[in-house]
Amino acid sequence: MSLSPVEGAALAEIESSDQEPDEKKRLVGRSPGQLVWARLRRDRTAMVSGVVLALFILAAVAAPLIQRLYGVSPNQQFGDLLDATGMPLGYVGGVSGDHWFGLEPGLGRDIFIRMIYGIRTSLLIALGAALVTTTIGVVLGIVAGFLGGVVDSVISWITDVALALPFLIFALAVVPTFSLRFYGPRDAVPTWFAVTTLIVVFAAFGWTGTARLVRGQVVSLREREFVEAARASGAGLGHMLFRQLLPNIWAPILVAFSLAVPSYVTGEAALSFLGVGLPESVPSFGRMIYRSIDYLQTDPAYVFFPGITIFALVLAFNLFGDALRDALDPKSSR
Amino acid sequence: MRARLATAVGGAMALVVALSACSKNTGDNGDTADTNKPRSGAIATDPKDSLGPAAEVPGAAKGGTFYILRESKISHLDPQRVYSFAGLMGSQLYARFLTTFKDDGKGNVTLVGDLAETPGKNVNNDCKVWEFTIKEGVKFEDGRPITSKEIAYGIARSFDPDLTGGPTYLQEWLADSPQYDTKWDFKKNKTSLPPGLTTPDPRTLRFEFNKPRCDLPFAVSLPATAPLPPDKDTGVNLDNMPFSSGPYRFTKIQPGVEMVLERNTNWDPATDPVRHAYPDKFVWSLGSDNTTQTNRVLAGTGNDAAAVATGGVPPELIAKVTGDPALKARMIVAATPNAYRLSINTTRVTDLSVRQAINYAIDRSSITKNLGGPYGAVPLTTLLPPTTLGYKKFDAYPAGESGDPAKAKETLGGKSVNLVLGTSDDTASQETATQVKNALEKAGFTVTVKPIPEDGYLDFVKKKSNPWDLWVDSWAADWPSGASILPVLFDGRSLKAEGNSNTSQLNNEAINAEFDRVLALDPAKQAEEWSKLDEKLMKESAPAVPLYNEVVSVAHGEKAGGIFIGSIFGWPSFVNAYVKQ
Repeated sequence: MSLSPVEGAALAEIESSDQEPDEKKRLVGRSPGQLVWARLRRDRTAMVSGVVLALFILAAVAAPLIQRLYGVSPNQQFGDLLDATGMPLGYVGGVSGDHWFGLEPGLGRDIFIRMIYGIRTSLLIALGAALVTTTIGVVLGIVAGFLGGVVDSVISWITDVALALPFLIFALAVVPTFSLRFYGPRDAVPTWFAVTTLIVVFAAFGWTGTARLVRGQVVSLREREFVEAARASGAGLGHMLFRQLLPNIWAPILVAFSLAVPSYVTGEAALSFLGVGLPESVPSFGRMIYRSIDYLQTDPAYVFFPGITIFALVLAFNLFGDALRDALDPKSSR
Repeated sequence: MRARLATAVGGAMALVVALSACSKNTGDNGDTADTNKPRSGAIATDPKDSLGPAAEVPGAAKGGTFYILRESKISHLDPQRVYSFAGLMGSQLYARFLTTFKDDGKGNVTLVGDLAETPGKNVNNDCKVWEFTIKEGVKFEDGRPITSKEIAYGIARSFDPDLTGGPTYLQEWLADSPQYDTKWDFKKNKTSLPPGLTTPDPRTLRFEFNKPRCDLPFAVSLPATAPLPPDKDTGVNLDNMPFSSGPYRFTKIQPGVEMVLERNTNWDPATDPVRHAYPDKFVWSLGSDNTTQTNRVLAGTGNDAAAVATGGVPPELIAKVTGDPALKARMIVAATPNAYRLSINTTRVTDLSVRQAINYAIDRSSITKNLGGPYGAVPLTTLLPPTTLGYKKFDAYPAGESGDPAKAKETLGGKSVNLVLGTSDDTASQETATQVKNALEKAGFTVTVKPIPEDGYLDFVKKKSNPWDLWVDSWAADWPSGASILPVLFDGRSLKAEGNSNTSQLNNEAINAEFDRVLALDPAKQAEEWSKLDEKLMKESAPAVPLYNEVVSVAHGEKAGGIFIGSIFGWPSFVNAYVKQ
């Protein structure tokens, strides 16, 4: 049985809640995971944002199926639905029964199906990069914070160096060499390779923030009584780090994670725009948003649909992250 | 509170949708100036055409400050090194040349004498010896008279290998070799002149060539013939402060920020057939991108009212300008000589039927729409752009504007062909590449797109050993004659390891012989022959797919008058510019 304050807090909350006594009795025996789930279920924001996120992920996973039902492929051009200067004909950027969100001005591709595929690419990169960076950051941060001394100095020094390296210049230099190393000048670079490269580049730089955050949290925790107690009862290093300390710092990690995902979506867009990300023909949410901003004055609908979608995605991620943090650690101040 | 916030957010979104929904695009904004009009023009035979002053521009008034907006600095200001469009058009303000084009901005051009009294005298009628007589009363900014000596010195210093960037026609023709700087070393011979260039007297300049150079009057219209007194030659530093022979002189140059030109009181309008010099000052304001420039001059507050946005209206903003008659009146549209083509590497794609199939498959309509339609690009089916003298339109592979995938498949005859398309990695080029790929794949090709870093793109594709089959290339001629286009782009004898303009790497003996034959003809007879040769090239070799001819749409402020797009380089000309009072 763990002595971490998470459970203590959870019990305290349940005891102070004004629920029926028999219900309270049934709740006492629940595991921490069940408690978190129960609290999430009660949080309307969490449920709504969770459902929105689930829908996004479903859309991403089921993209080819949606394409089959919708009947339009992401690289199909509808030039005859554009006027002579490349602006979509009709209302609201060419919205119609066949093209639900209208057409891209200029190229005349369907916005809806490109967004579905764009969410797929962007979420894959963003979630992948966020998971990798958070894992690296948490492990290095917790080790540095708990062990202190030379280990801390070395890890902190590496963090500083990684922070000091200019990300964009590094990405511009490394990404093209990466694909040249594995593919000849006449070979097609597969999309999965470009995606992996992007995740690796993001991971190489993105872990520093989490590492610093976690290290700071661990430093403030490591002299606490429950840590002393665990140490006194002879717990090993792994147990100390991942069973005692980690459960207490989930809250800031989750917040950092939920903020990292949208920032990688836009980061991918920036790289694609500089020509080191994904090729133009691969639908990408970030590139779409970047491209659409130029059309703000002439085709606001092109800005609106991807804009509102990324707004919903980021908001859902942040709200859900927030709710999850509340559920894990209800006593901490907002 | 939360409910109210949700209402507010929802309301704002509904408003955005409503705003964008309130007008239906029916597609009737496509009418535009005739950008396919061929250039008509000739070399002036009447010496009166070369006399000043230039005819007054109706409504023009003297005074005021004219602003020119541009994103980046001009690569070179030194007239002997100027070769960018901005530099070529901008140098007219502070430099004079041997000859220049009288241009009405509607495609009618006449080559007249600028510093010279006539556009050259073909002494023996064999194009090998040319003489120019310098006008009287032409002066530098310090009041010294301009003689043939200073013009010859200007040409001589362009042999200096340190002064890179400028055109090389005169040097190569005089030295009769592409390695002109080893044939005649400027640094060792500063007091003498290159072989073939002489100044019999202060008012006469004489060129003698080994081969006929019938295009010389055109070639000397480039800024490399601007005069310079030897004591004012600061070498590579002349870029920082050129010495003026034109109507304005530089008073301030901050690279990448601002350049100020003020009147040169020693310039005499009576000697100048084209320049007006209405404003008291010209200010180049650098740093804004073309979207910002266009929005600035359309808003027209403060100095921006008397400004021209040289970056051009980006495709994204075309609809904004064409949708408002008041703004549309402030946008000038003109075809440039810049012709884009899809070069086919003929050493890799050796099968003529494949090259012909590519020609049938290409979809020009979608490519030009993405570039702003008639305001950004017009489809082109010839290797020569319509701005060439003697241009004749034809379509060797008639497939309609959207291409004919069925005809292309038929031409391919069931072959399966893999093609690698190299493309610059900037957004516009990547989008064009996507469309080329789409069109070719409809016709049964397999296309791999390889992005190439934008800054090295031209160096890579101009290498003889580059690994790609197709790439988009463009060529803007220095003067509107086929002689400065077809032999440059398709003469296989000039192929070298790097820096090839012949990016199709075509080397066909029959074609090469044709080039020699036409080049030796009288310039007046050449025009028609070039167009015939263009058709022959397309039909028999298909070394490239002509894609589109670039069109520029330039917006200016309410007070900026007299701006037109120069017919030769397709860039705004400032010789008639004035500030409306």
